[in-house]
Amino acid sequence: MDEQGGVDQGLRIISYLISGLLFYGGLGWLADRALNTTFWLPVGLILGTVAGIYIVIKRYGRA
Amino acid sequence: MGGLASRLIPLEGEGDHSGWPPSAESFNSRPLFPDLGPQFSWLNNHLTQAVIAAIIVIAFWLWMARRQTVVPSRKQFLGEQFYNLIRNTIARDALGHDYRRFLPYLIALFTFIWINNLFGQFFLFMFPTFSKIGYAYGLALLTWLLYNGAGIAKWGFGTYMRKMTLPEGVPKALWALIIPLEFLSNFIVRPFTLALRLFANMFAGHLVVMVFVIGSTMLLAMTEPANGFPVALLKTAGGIGIVFSFAIFALELLVGAIQAYIFTVLTAQYVASSIAESH
Repeated sequence: MDEQGGVDQGLRIISYLISGLLFYGGLGWLADRALNTTFWLPVGLILGTVAGIYIVIKRYGRA
Repeated sequence: MGGLASRLIPLEGEGDHSGWPPSAESFNSRPLFPDLGPQFSWLNNHLTQAVIAAIIVIAFWLWMARRQTVVPSRKQFLGEQFYNLIRNTIARDALGHDYRRFLPYLIALFTFIWINNLFGQFFLFMFPTFSKIGYAYGLALLTWLLYNGAGIAKWGFGTYMRKMTLPEGVPKALWALIIPLEFLSNFIVRPFTLALRLFANMFAGHLVVMVFVIGSTMLLAMTEPANGFPVALLKTAGGIGIVFSFAIFALELLVGAIQAYIFTVLTAQYVASSIAESH
């Protein structure tokens, strides 16, 4: 892996983590608003982080 | 100097650059023809400098491409060095043997961003165009169209979407968990952060420059003690500030070049990942 590929890979990994937080955190936030609860947002954030890390491991863990 | 020129060129005591403290307001554009009303306010000084940058890019490369010889003249040597930089360190590294098709765009992109960033350090403009986020979004949109277009052209829509949303080796049970994330990451977050990175670097850099230059100028212009500090101390601080502002300008020259390079590298990498055989 050359240097620029490394830059791209690093930024992509960040992008996956952000996507996880955004998507599942967003779903949790929506669920909280719809159901008048307060616990779905943290659940979503944690699930999103886990999913993001899972993708990173799946894609880049073997190298 | 009045009329159109004063709206194009920032002058002391005019326009938005004289405000203290500098803020997001300092980045407001000035309409070139305020008499025409708000529907022509898009015709502003920052649009003008973006267009001028585009003209410079086109003129520069047309000039470089004229009268090429086997034994390069000094001018041609300069152009070739520049061309080789993009071709060898960005396009060929990222795209492999497919690089030739994307090279013109990458070169134009790099030159365009760099010249716009240099506008932040040079008189007449003193404003990096990409510290207006709309311009950065525009470039990111072009990159988005390019890498998606290249991917769809190579793989067809269905295969391309599958490649971009589903990494290999993910068990079926987790597909529902992973596909939205891949989609969000590849189609929204990555181009978005691409624009934000360019914008934030230019915005922050220009703000620091304004703080140093305008603040130091104000300190130098002090004629009576302020906050208990004697005039001599205020003027000394202003003088040191002006000297340091040159260091900031030098830093901004570096940042402008690096950001232009990074943007081009990442555009090439995005294209490479969308046309790659496998991940």
